[in-house]
Amino acid sequence: MLEIRNLTVAIDDVEVLADIDLTLPEGELHVLLGPNGSGKSSLLATILGLPPYRIVAGEILFDGAPIQSLPLEARARLGIGLAYQRPPSLEGVTLRSFAAAIGAEDRLETEAAALDLTAFLGRDMNVGFSGGEIKRWEVLKLVLQDPRLLLFDEPESGVDLEHVIAVGEAIAHAVRSPDREGRTCSGLVITHTGLILNHVKADRAHIMKDGRILHSGDPQALFAHIQTDGYSVPA
Amino acid sequence: MTIRTQDKAQLSNEERDILHDVGFDDPSARAATSVLADREMRMALSNDLGVEILPLSEALRTYDFVQDLMFGLVSPDENEHIAMVAEHMHDPLGHFVWVKPGAKVRLPVQCFTLLETPQGRQFTHDVTLIDEGAEVEMISGAAVPGSVHKGRHISISESYMRKGASCSSVTIEHWGAAMDVYSYGYAHLEEGARRRSTAIMMAPLAHHLSRSHTILAADTNAVSQAIVFAPEGTERVIETETHLAGEGARSEDVARMVSVGGRIVNSAMLVGDAAGTNGFLGCDGLKLSDTGEIMAVPSLRARAEGAMLSHEASVGMIDSDKLDYLMATGLDEDTARNLIVTGFLRLDHGAIPAGVRMRVVEMIDQAKSGGM
Ligand SMILES: Nc1ncnc2c1ncn2[C@@H]1O[C@H](COP(=O)(O)OP(=O)(O)O)[C@@H](O)[C@H]1O
Ligand SMILES: [Mg+2]
Repeated sequence: MLEIRNLTVAIDDVEVLADIDLTLPEGELHVLLGPNGSGKSSLLATILGLPPYRIVAGEILFDGAPIQSLPLEARARLGIGLAYQRPPSLEGVTLRSFAAAIGAEDRLETEAAALDLTAFLGRDMNVGFSGGEIKRWEVLKLVLQDPRLLLFDEPESGVDLEHVIAVGEAIAHAVRSPDREGRTCSGLVITHTGLILNHVKADRAHIMKDGRILHSGDPQALFAHIQTDGYSVPA
Repeated sequence: MTIRTQDKAQLSNEERDILHDVGFDDPSARAATSVLADREMRMALSNDLGVEILPLSEALRTYDFVQDLMFGLVSPDENEHIAMVAEHMHDPLGHFVWVKPGAKVRLPVQCFTLLETPQGRQFTHDVTLIDEGAEVEMISGAAVPGSVHKGRHISISESYMRKGASCSSVTIEHWGAAMDVYSYGYAHLEEGARRRSTAIMMAPLAHHLSRSHTILAADTNAVSQAIVFAPEGTERVIETETHLAGEGARSEDVARMVSVGGRIVNSAMLVGDAAGTNGFLGCDGLKLSDTGEIMAVPSLRARAEGAMLSHEASVGMIDSDKLDYLMATGLDEDTARNLIVTGFLRLDHGAIPAGVRMRVVEMIDQAKSGGM
């Protein structure tokens, strides 16, 4: 579904991603691991086409076609969606009016209930939300958007223990079940804590460091390795 | 049951349509209705024993005390416009609304002004008395037919809220695109009175000066919001002055302004005259084009120790992060912008009728595409 080849990305003239190769087959869920500042968020933002990232070299293929010159909303319409790490707040735009704008009103109540956000439907998007509430909303937003390639940027950080299961299950369900047109989905999840691995069975993990993919392999094994040896290549 | 009717001529369908856009509903669905057209009170009727609504000239003859209310909050020589209205007032034009002591008025009271003659000159004076412990909701509006784009309207309104009275109001105006309008509003809230008001100033006009002066006695609570829009060719100057005059008075005054090429000046002054008062001023401006101007001038004046006054002001373009965030969900740029602008104006919240909300969205759309 997603294929990234030799991707090098800069902000102004500073390189933030170097020579990234990553293949995410249809139906798979991968996790991205890596220290702060290693380029994980930059990678997801580049896939979606958010500023200020500039592709210096390489290409991004979605369903076999290059997308790097498509504008943001065109990529979103192809079925790429991102749960932000730090979304902006939208004063006066309620969850309900947003859901109406994307045509997901009919599913809002049920999906919100699954993430314990029923009481938030009249609230303005991300305004005054706690860290964990933002994460739950971002997951709900993606569920409503119903993309085929789901990108999650640290969806569980800041989420309390009571809700982390719901977030994990919502991610698992969103990625593992087909979209509303019956097409198979794929997911790429950035995680620090690895908590998410208890709820979603990932197929593969990638360790990022200094803007590069250092190593890829079995998620459980790599996470265990990181916990003892840090973000390094396993022996 | 009709308490008093002044129904010289039925409103035409066209008139009803125009008024509908600014909040009019059939008089049978309202506690009381007044409609002033050009220089005539066309309708003044009440279905509720708790509300009396009369042409001001008649009220002056009927009730002694009305002459003390008229020019009770502002002097007739306050400024040149007010003097002009006062001079014109051999037979004053405008309404007197009286909500009786203790009345809990179930349906809204509605009051409208129409200017139907091109190049018309209209000078009005309204007096509103919400008596002790009374509760009421008010809808007022001003409009012109499509054929009128030039003219001048000057209005004075004086509102008295007696002890413990409560009022929520919405005002919507839709003047002609080349008109000059001057509105002067004065209000006095006695002890424990509560007021919540929304003013919608959206339709284009050449120049609008809106000046208001409010005195808040002890333990009053006043919340006001203004939703202001200026397309190319429109200039709106809004000046408000609020006095927290008695202990425990609270006020919150928020203006949200959008310019698409027009000019908006908002000067808001909050004065803490008494201790134990609390006031907030908010002025937020959003500029949707490179031309035009928004100027926000909030000022705070604490004259007593223990007056807590604060303000927030911001003026800017649409934040590209917010736009991207919405477009990243597949929304096109126009839809994303509209969501941000209507959100900024809080059109979803509060007392704005659905029909008005739709029209506001259309108006912003038209202005952006230069069709205005
Ligand atoms: N808008 C930006 N402007 C300048 N530098 C940025 C910007 N966004 C990210 N960076 C830098 O790019 C590097 C990678 O950041 P990021 O992708 O957010 O890392 P991660 O998500 O792995 O913590 C960091 O050094 C960060 O400071
Ligand atoms: Mg990050």
